[in-house]
Amino acid sequence: MALRKPAALGDTQVMASTIDLATLSLELASLEASARRGAARTLGAVPEAVPLLCDRLAVESALSVRSAIVTSLIRLKSERVVEGLLPFLRSEDTGLRNAVIEALQEMPSEVEPFVAELLADADSDVRIFAVNIVSLLPHPSTPLWLTQVVAEDEHVNVCAAAVEGLAEIGTEHAIPALEALPGRFPDVPFIAFAVSAVIRRIRGL
Amino acid sequence: MPLSSAMTMRQGHPPISEEEYNIFFEFFYRRTGILFNDKKGYFVEKRLHDRMEKTGSTSFRRYFDLVRFQASGEELQCLVNIMTVNETYFFREDYQFNALVQGMLPEIARSRKIGDTLRIWSMPCSTGEEPYSVAIQIIENWSRADDFAIEIRGSDIDTRVLNEARQGIYGERSLHRLTPALRAKYFQSVGPDRFQLREELRESVDFSIANIVDPLHTTRYRAVDVIFCRNLLIYFDDVSRRLAVEALYDCLSPGGFICLGHSESMSRISSMFQPRKFGDTIVYQKPLGND
Repeated sequence: MALRKPAALGDTQVMASTIDLATLSLELASLEASARRGAARTLGAVPEAVPLLCDRLAVESALSVRSAIVTSLIRLKSERVVEGLLPFLRSEDTGLRNAVIEALQEMPSEVEPFVAELLADADSDVRIFAVNIVSLLPHPSTPLWLTQVVAEDEHVNVCAAAVEGLAEIGTEHAIPALEALPGRFPDVPFIAFAVSAVIRRIRGL
Repeated sequence: MPLSSAMTMRQGHPPISEEEYNIFFEFFYRRTGILFNDKKGYFVEKRLHDRMEKTGSTSFRRYFDLVRFQASGEELQCLVNIMTVNETYFFREDYQFNALVQGMLPEIARSRKIGDTLRIWSMPCSTGEEPYSVAIQIIENWSRADDFAIEIRGSDIDTRVLNEARQGIYGERSLHRLTPALRAKYFQSVGPDRFQLREELRESVDFSIANIVDPLHTTRYRAVDVIFCRNLLIYFDDVSRRLAVEALYDCLSPGGFICLGHSESMSRISSMFQPRKFGDTIVYQKPLGND
């Protein structure tokens, strides 16, 4: 038996078929994960499908389908996508939250209008996730945003996350806020240690 | 110097503006998933100008219109063919071929009946050295090869290399890692520094076009047991890499394996696969569960 030539597929260019949103919507709710993955992937070319994809993301349990939905939302990146993804930052599902954070980091311009609101959220956990997003966002305002967090946020863990972010992208402008931070949290020795390390790094010492 | 500034300096060719380059790059990326950086400046520039000359395009805009709106997609395919680099040889990174016959195939075979089909896909296959190496490795080194119908496919986005793969004619450089015994057994000389793979082996592998980031292409490949996708994902950006990996996931059978290049790691890209170590190499397995 051994080697057997497979049926030929050839070099014919594969042509796109018409995208039917109604059918794909049904497939996205299929019991078969492979059908849901296929639908999620195809919908990555359909801007109108953003609400559909976000709704499915909220209930999707299969890791591979979730990944396909997130990838499609990244492909469709827009402020509408950001609006659809932000509620997941409050999810108890760590995997989902991380996937959403990764996705938001892929769309810096679209995230920008939401940064101020996110960094002022009443929930300190959401503010930490916001700092996580901002820290890796390829956006020129990132050092400024993180410096503002260090200067103003009242929660030590949010500030600690921002200090960590500044370790990579901080500039001299961040140093006054960093130097003031240990005085704002005198009972947390870790902050003084972290700030000192980041300032050394910024100054290239 | 920025990529576009460097590019517009070639003499004797219609100039290409920075904005035109940006438009081209976005288009080419969207259609192929291939992203160029500054290091590829001269490479891209030379090939674009060559194509503009060959198609008689008097300006970049005219050439881009041809590529962008041509119904057959012929010129876009020409561009893809010349923009992709194909460097390969028989038994490159051969520890993975050893892992194939010593680890992956025996494991897959345990859950199959005698006579079942096992599917192996080499993507991108370039001029065929990789899928043919797989074929030789299985014939030479897997004792259970005769128990199964083993189908090997090779795919590439470049139709020119696929045609070369079907011909199976190679130079000394491609064969340098083969023992004299294997050369004598599987190749015949067809000219100075030209060796052709014997027909029965050429006939055992099917070659077909595939663009890994295009779902319309990859849906043609299903129930694959082992995919060799080496040194391709490193050239992709994050989104294309995600798309490619998700497409490969769907192509695999539950429990199937992906072999990446030695400098690549799936863990950076996706948590959908489980890393498995076979001998000196790590490969990535699709979970057995019904996902």
